[in-house]
Amino acid sequence: MEKESYISEEKQETKEEQAASAIQQLGQTNVPQMTPDTNIHCLTIVGQIEGHIQLPPQNKTTKYEHVIPQIVAIEQNQNIEGLLVILNTVGGDVEAGLAIAEMLASLSKPTVSIVLGGGHSIGVPIAVSCDYSFITETATMTIHPIRLTGLVIGVPQTFEYLDKMQERVVRFVTKHSKITEEKFKELMFSKGNLTRDIGTNVVGPDAVRYGLIDEVGGVSKAMDKLRELIELNKSGERKMIQ
Amino acid sequence: MILYTIMPEHLVFQAAAEEYEKQTTVYYDGIPFLVQKAETGEYEIVRNLSTNPLHFLEQKYAPGTRFPMSVATRNEFLLHSWYNK
Repeated sequence: MEKESYISEEKQETKEEQAASAIQQLGQTNVPQMTPDTNIHCLTIVGQIEGHIQLPPQNKTTKYEHVIPQIVAIEQNQNIEGLLVILNTVGGDVEAGLAIAEMLASLSKPTVSIVLGGGHSIGVPIAVSCDYSFITETATMTIHPIRLTGLVIGVPQTFEYLDKMQERVVRFVTKHSKITEEKFKELMFSKGNLTRDIGTNVVGPDAVRYGLIDEVGGVSKAMDKLRELIELNKSGERKMIQ
Repeated sequence: MILYTIMPEHLVFQAAAEEYEKQTTVYYDGIPFLVQKAETGEYEIVRNLSTNPLHFLEQKYAPGTRFPMSVATRNEFLLHSWYNK
């Protein structure tokens, strides 16, 4: 009896210790514990989209070797019915960004994207790759031509290669959003919007006006839309079976 | 010293190899985490890489929390018996 009470006291002590260390480490208290069961998963594309060169650890990056298997897992898991993609990225590697965008576009489950702070550069194809896209009032998206950071174009072939790569981005964006190729290229090559650079910084409502993004809205609107798409997807499946 | 160059910063000032070794990705309870080694021989969570939003509500998966290295696995299947056959 005595021993039992001793054990429970010890447990209590370790619990208090854990809580104290959590407060010391992050200044936060316990959050409600829930069962790990949800039909909507969320994928965050944050920082720089890392390509074939690994960036030093001080950079915040989204790595394609993390994201691509996660999308495969989401496609395979029957309990997951929808995916919310949250973007706050400065852009990054074109090939890696396009790979993620193509993975999202080919996902059979409903997907909704939401651009929070910024969805710049290669973040644009990722934002439009989802079934429905949202942008917050203050979020921005920079549209600019593709470039090799710092490296000088030496031969005409390099230029042609870059031009082809750019064409892939333009084709993907125009295919997956309501923006026309003329308008997108106009934004991409316009002068005077970015200081000493070519391109345009499109703010939330403008992105919707150009047809790049579907709607201005926050997380609640995005979740509502995702639930609506999930219901549509379910009723469609039911019809298929019948 | 001011260095004017068109080369990107990470190419001019390359990080030392040990910088890269500080952080690694491991699975803990089947959830991927970006971790760094703590002096206590534990892993400290830097980033939760899960797509399940409920994993972010659990105290023990929050950034800054530590867990013993022994419970971490290289991939999510190491806990399953069929993988180790």
